[in-house]
Amino acid sequence: MDALFNHPNVGPFFGKQMIQRLVTSNPSPAYVARVAKAFNDNGAGVRGDLAAVFAAVLLDDDARGPAGLSGAGQNGFGKLREPMVRLVQWARTFGATSSRGSWKMGDLSNPATQLGQSPLRPGSVFNFFRPGYVPPSTALSASQTPAPEFQLVNESSVAGYLNYLQGVVRNGIYVNAPDVPNNASNANNGFDITAPYTAELALAADASALVKRLGLLLSAGQLSAANQTLIVNALNATLVTAASTDSVKRDRVAAAVLMVMAASDYLIQK
Amino acid sequence: MHLINPSLHSRRAFLRRSGQLALTGTALPFALNLAAMGEAAAFDASDYKALVCVFFYGGNDYANTVVTYDDPSYNLYSTIRGGGAGQSAGGIALAKSALALTLLNPTTALAGGRQYALHPAMTGLSGLFNAGQAAVQLNVGPLVVPLTRAQYNSADRKTYPLPPKLFSHNDQQSIWQSSSPEGSTIGWGGNLGDLALASNSTSLFTCINVTGNAVFLSGDSALSYQVSSSGAVAINAVKSNVYGSAAVKTAMAQLVQQPRTHTLENEYNKVTARALGAEAAITGGLASSTLATPFPASNSLADQLKTVARLIGARSSLGTKRQVFFVSIGGFDLHDNLIANHPALLGKVSDAMTAFYNATMELGVASKVTAFTASDFGRTLSSNGDGSDHGWGSHHFMVGGAVQGKAFYGSAPPVSVGSTTAASDQQHVGQGRLLPTTSVDQYAATLAKWFGVADREMAGILPNLTKFGTAAGRADYPVNVGFMG
Repeated sequence: MDALFNHPNVGPFFGKQMIQRLVTSNPSPAYVARVAKAFNDNGAGVRGDLAAVFAAVLLDDDARGPAGLSGAGQNGFGKLREPMVRLVQWARTFGATSSRGSWKMGDLSNPATQLGQSPLRPGSVFNFFRPGYVPPSTALSASQTPAPEFQLVNESSVAGYLNYLQGVVRNGIYVNAPDVPNNASNANNGFDITAPYTAELALAADASALVKRLGLLLSAGQLSAANQTLIVNALNATLVTAASTDSVKRDRVAAAVLMVMAASDYLIQK
Repeated sequence: MHLINPSLHSRRAFLRRSGQLALTGTALPFALNLAAMGEAAAFDASDYKALVCVFFYGGNDYANTVVTYDDPSYNLYSTIRGGGAGQSAGGIALAKSALALTLLNPTTALAGGRQYALHPAMTGLSGLFNAGQAAVQLNVGPLVVPLTRAQYNSADRKTYPLPPKLFSHNDQQSIWQSSSPEGSTIGWGGNLGDLALASNSTSLFTCINVTGNAVFLSGDSALSYQVSSSGAVAINAVKSNVYGSAAVKTAMAQLVQQPRTHTLENEYNKVTARALGAEAAITGGLASSTLATPFPASNSLADQLKTVARLIGARSSLGTKRQVFFVSIGGFDLHDNLIANHPALLGKVSDAMTAFYNATMELGVASKVTAFTASDFGRTLSSNGDGSDHGWGSHHFMVGGAVQGKAFYGSAPPVSVGSTTAASDQQHVGQGRLLPTTSVDQYAATLAKWFGVADREMAGILPNLTKFGTAAGRADYPVNVGFMG
């Protein structure tokens, strides 16, 4: 193990994959070199200090600088958010809770009806994404540009994600027998994992403010102005006021969340 | 390892150009200008033909799938795999008595009295073999050039190049499917699709994948279109009002399909646009394509193959005449629990492929549809105590009415794990990892020839094929193995 750990390839190998997981699918060699340098020596002579590695990954100019968002030739920067990460982001952003405390999300592996991804259930020992996966028949294939998370993207999974999301963001995750540790159906079947949307419901009457908030929380402000307008106009087609019922307000909040999380400028994290 | 650059092939360059033209637009793939691709038409496809690749992910243990049966060979197998006394089960060896019902009876017996039986769980496939609708390709695997064991061990990699990254799952999966390791974007199934695009009125339905993403079906211009085992998935938020709102439905349709400047965003939306564009045709076609043939339950491979059969049944409404399908089953990486877990996998394979053959009979296309198997690699013959480890060559199946069945193709490898200079030790590279005597390119070329690919077009699809066959001075490695006549 020591021999492996001290091999000079480990820093670049590990560093590149951490960048791919966290920041961008196709990092520049210089970015990988800077992260590998931090792996090799944290500044105090320690090799393999993961705090230093992740600081180098996340605080690098490539990750934080404006070039990644709008720089010349940067139209490939970033990465597709993993389906499971999108669901967890939804749950954490809106403070979802499990009413029975069991968090029985179940197996979400079915790409046609769910996320096509579920924790600890990859199709092989190689986990869900190969670091060198290049999506065939795309603009990326000609340049051999990897985009690992596209390994789960196909005509079924893109549709399954949207359908699953449409149910979850409005009503939560339906759980069979949330009170017992098996999947047998019982009288307590129901939407056990739900989001309260407290702050969002308070903004429901103001579509513009609601979408602005969601764009910030979900897409780090990367939702394009054109798509914000598109979403706001769609929401405003249904009248919602402060006096509207909770159900009407929830419809608007859920529609806003669905549209943001369906937009490609959300799906691709930059 | 492409030894020639197929991109330079002028017709392929043309296909690539026309594909790029069509795909850079915002229109759905239906808008592909088929007329412009007419000059690339390779097939006189007045009839229907389909190839179905059944991939075993993880690397299948060849020795317990196509099991050596004649006494001298079986006894060697039993000794190597830790079998019990009196040809009984033991270690990772199957009992000889368990194999009697699945014994393969070829029309022409193998040389040297060699005999094989299938795993006892594979009664369906052994039945198809003995009835002449299935054949076995012995010891096939990736090769760049024909190799002996001495050449494999040679330091002269220039004269005796090896397939890259042997024994590595992800790379060998990719090499079986595309001749190149991980990161490859063009598979030979897709290249067959490139040649077939013009034969189909909806080119998108040329290459259909019913399992997870795989490079096999992606060509220069042919796309791998994915459907689930339950058919094409409609997007509810684009089809119906969202939480009662028609405006949200309209906005969703725009959001999920809009062209984007950012490459990754644009590619994601293109997939969604394709899904939306194709869903109605697939759903409509499948609705009128039902089967009476029973398919086994709780068998994902059977679910996939049933969908393939129904899509074939819908060929008239989908306007398809040449199709390549890809289905898969995982779980074959049995370093452990080989004896416990292998039977269920092989049983599923046999049951699913048998039901699929029966469905093609029902549809009247048994001689127009050929299913064949593939896997990352074979495994070691020697036991690691509870299973077998990564290997190279393996035995595979071809099933269909056009298959010259009840026969073995390729050569039967000696049952050996020895490393002497004896002839019996020359067809493996240690621990019974088979050194292939038939290359994937030969195997694929035999299928491609039946599919309608002209000899001159083979090299563009199978880059290593020029190193095999009589033209390369290797009549012992024929470019047409013969199992398709």
